[in-house]
Amino acid sequence: MDQLLKDIYAGVIDGQSALVQEKVKDALASGLNPGVILKEGMIAAMREVGRRFEEGEFYVPEMLIAARAMQSGLALLKPHLQESDVKSAGKVVIGTVKGDLHDIGKNLVAMMLEGAGFEIYDLGTDVTPQKFIETARSVDADIIAMSALLTTTMTNMKVTIDALADAGLRSSLKVMVGGAPITDQYAAQIGADGYAVDASRAVSVAKSLLSH
Amino acid sequence: MTSSSFTIDLEPVGRRVQVGTKSTLLAAAQAAGVELVAVCGGIGSCGTCRVRLMTGELSPLTLIEEVELGLDEIAAGFRLACQARPVSDVRLDIPPESLTTPQRLQVEGQGVEVGLDPVVVPIDLHISPPSLFDLRSDTTRLKAALAEQGFVIQTIALPVLAGLSEGLRAQDWSARLALRRVDGKAAKNLVAVLPPASPLLGLAVDIGTTKLAAYLVDLVSGETLAKDGAMNPQIAFGEDVISRIAYVNEHAGQHPDGRQLLQDRLVATLNHLAAQLCAGVGNSPQQIVEAVFVGNTAMHHLFAGLPVHQLGASPYVPVIGESFELPATALGLSLARGATVYLPPNIAGYVGADHVAMLLALDVARTQQITIALDIGTNTEITLSIPARRTGRKGNRMLSCSCASGPAFEGAHINAGMRAAPGAIERLQIIAGDVRVHTIGGVAPVGICGSGILDAVAELLVAGVLDRRGVLQKGHSRLRQATNGRLEFLLVPAAASGHGHDLVVSREDVKEIQLAKGAIRAGIEILLGEAGLMPDDVEQFIVAGAFGTYLDLNSALRIGMFPALPIERFRQVGNAAGIGAKQMLVSAAQRRAASQIARQIEYIELTTHPTFAEEFVQALTFGK
Repeated sequence: MDQLLKDIYAGVIDGQSALVQEKVKDALASGLNPGVILKEGMIAAMREVGRRFEEGEFYVPEMLIAARAMQSGLALLKPHLQESDVKSAGKVVIGTVKGDLHDIGKNLVAMMLEGAGFEIYDLGTDVTPQKFIETARSVDADIIAMSALLTTTMTNMKVTIDALADAGLRSSLKVMVGGAPITDQYAAQIGADGYAVDASRAVSVAKSLLSH
Repeated sequence: MTSSSFTIDLEPVGRRVQVGTKSTLLAAAQAAGVELVAVCGGIGSCGTCRVRLMTGELSPLTLIEEVELGLDEIAAGFRLACQARPVSDVRLDIPPESLTTPQRLQVEGQGVEVGLDPVVVPIDLHISPPSLFDLRSDTTRLKAALAEQGFVIQTIALPVLAGLSEGLRAQDWSARLALRRVDGKAAKNLVAVLPPASPLLGLAVDIGTTKLAAYLVDLVSGETLAKDGAMNPQIAFGEDVISRIAYVNEHAGQHPDGRQLLQDRLVATLNHLAAQLCAGVGNSPQQIVEAVFVGNTAMHHLFAGLPVHQLGASPYVPVIGESFELPATALGLSLARGATVYLPPNIAGYVGADHVAMLLALDVARTQQITIALDIGTNTEITLSIPARRTGRKGNRMLSCSCASGPAFEGAHINAGMRAAPGAIERLQIIAGDVRVHTIGGVAPVGICGSGILDAVAELLVAGVLDRRGVLQKGHSRLRQATNGRLEFLLVPAAASGHGHDLVVSREDVKEIQLAKGAIRAGIEILLGEAGLMPDDVEQFIVAGAFGTYLDLNSALRIGMFPALPIERFRQVGNAAGIGAKQMLVSAAQRRAASQIARQIEYIELTTHPTFAEEFVQALTFGK
């Protein structure tokens, strides 16, 4: 592998934003294919971060620090990427539910999904059921991913799922949920298709939801 | 034979309760008034409500219990009280760490001296008794006697009126009246008819989410006669504010109504606390003629009987921001019949009257030094005050925010974590590879409280066992592989502990501290950024609250929770909110100052602040 790609890969894992940016610039200047930089440098690094996370070597802080480094590189890379460079694994509309303004966990899930090749439509925080529905319709989403950090707002996940059913969209897409107070049991109880305990596992849950 | 109710025997508390078959053990304990720790509010995500089955039968283990409890614990009969339901009469053993009492309760605090500006004043009167030749009513008689001394009565509330005749006659027409000022009027309200020469008492209480701190004050001298603490009984319905709001939401309109239940429990404890304080100095709560209560916005609302639903969802707005007063009788408080409860202003949904009281007590609004004042809890409220000389304004510029720092410093979500109770490691040092611990009460350690875990993380960093990201580095002799394959650091071996189990620090624990300190530091940086200041510009750094008093500043600086300022700029001031409440109890001028502080503060919402996520991630890294 190209030394620059190796540096980007290692820089993302170690969470060194400045280094990643520098090396992405160098890689672009040296004529490396942006799609290759993305895939072999960044996506591969985030996959490794996810693996270390699942094995208990990495925790949320390292993951956040790594994701920040990836994003800083991605910002430089994006203007150079062609449609053909990126093969979408699926379209995900993601947001924190109505009443809840917490987005760090949600952003991490979005970054991990993006790193795994999903097309992300991030609606931010305090997202109404209506907004989820409109966006899901207009982009023809495969998955709606909802986050809640508060026990007082997690009830809006069910409200959104019910609204999706009323809008006739429930059977045409999958719903996955997560957030500190959410449990597997709760996800099943409100009729979600998937639940992931953390951002890394959200990737495998999203993939498995679309595989059958 | 199936039964519709079972008897639950709660040991070692020794309480029994009859519950229906659908009731969880947590609900049973709540019904019995036994306060179990339930950090998550009973949804099964925290694993803090462990109880051990001694006799009888419970419902099968739930998936949540299998996840939260280890195999050893399950074998030993441990269950989660929020999950298990009785299927026969049962007898339970509640381990000390699952009980919310006893705890170390902190009531001391520092504040600036303030002069008296009494709201309620005593008037000693002798009234000529009625006779067949003098048939004036009791109130006419009273008013006439008062007029002779130059006082006019505006109103006499019904409860006072109802006790008036008996009071005057029992005291042979000599009485000490408590009269309360009416804003903008010369006339006063009659609050109480007390025996001659009895002291005029006031009550100031800081209603913490976890702890209550109460002060009994002589309103004439301004002197504190007694102080005491108690646990907030609402803990049994959820450890943090959000869990309690969720409990209220889920039990709205039920019997008992959630909000009513939480208010009733709190008021009952407050009544008990007031009676205890008064008994200690040979008085009765009937002599308490004025009270001030401070608390975070949710505690304020739950105490006053205001809705909290809107505090649980964005944009997290309080029902009321301004100060207000209400009769003690309306809350069920057993004080003097005409006593008034004063509630200072709230700044925002997560910056409440307790923070206003803290700022008031330390005169942060008028400080001549660039000051940061914060109170660390599950939510950490921070205020930055910039003196007028720096801003060219008339008064200080004040910016406030609230950080979601989580319950780690209260010992929650920490493997060996516990509250600051006997047996908790509160200080820890690693000297030449050896771990030295100091516990509360000097007994063998059974867990670690906030200041101890803070020390542990700081010491592990210095010893090189942790890197700046918080990753455990191999090489130390006390580092070992846990049963789950992950690394953990042995703090206290089983043989030296008070319960025969190893006490360890895991990466999980470090992570909790990292998230907490990251949130606090990010809040500090954002306030400084908003004011265009650098950390080093801060001339005074005030750390209030219980944890803030016991924490080792050097540890906090080592992990980077606070900016690296010279140590002499820091002040640890204890429960300053309680001091502020006392000041408002004895001074109308301080009440006005509190309202002014609340109006003056610019509140910064962190969750939607454009640089919060960046600052937070930055602050997750350890080191100065």
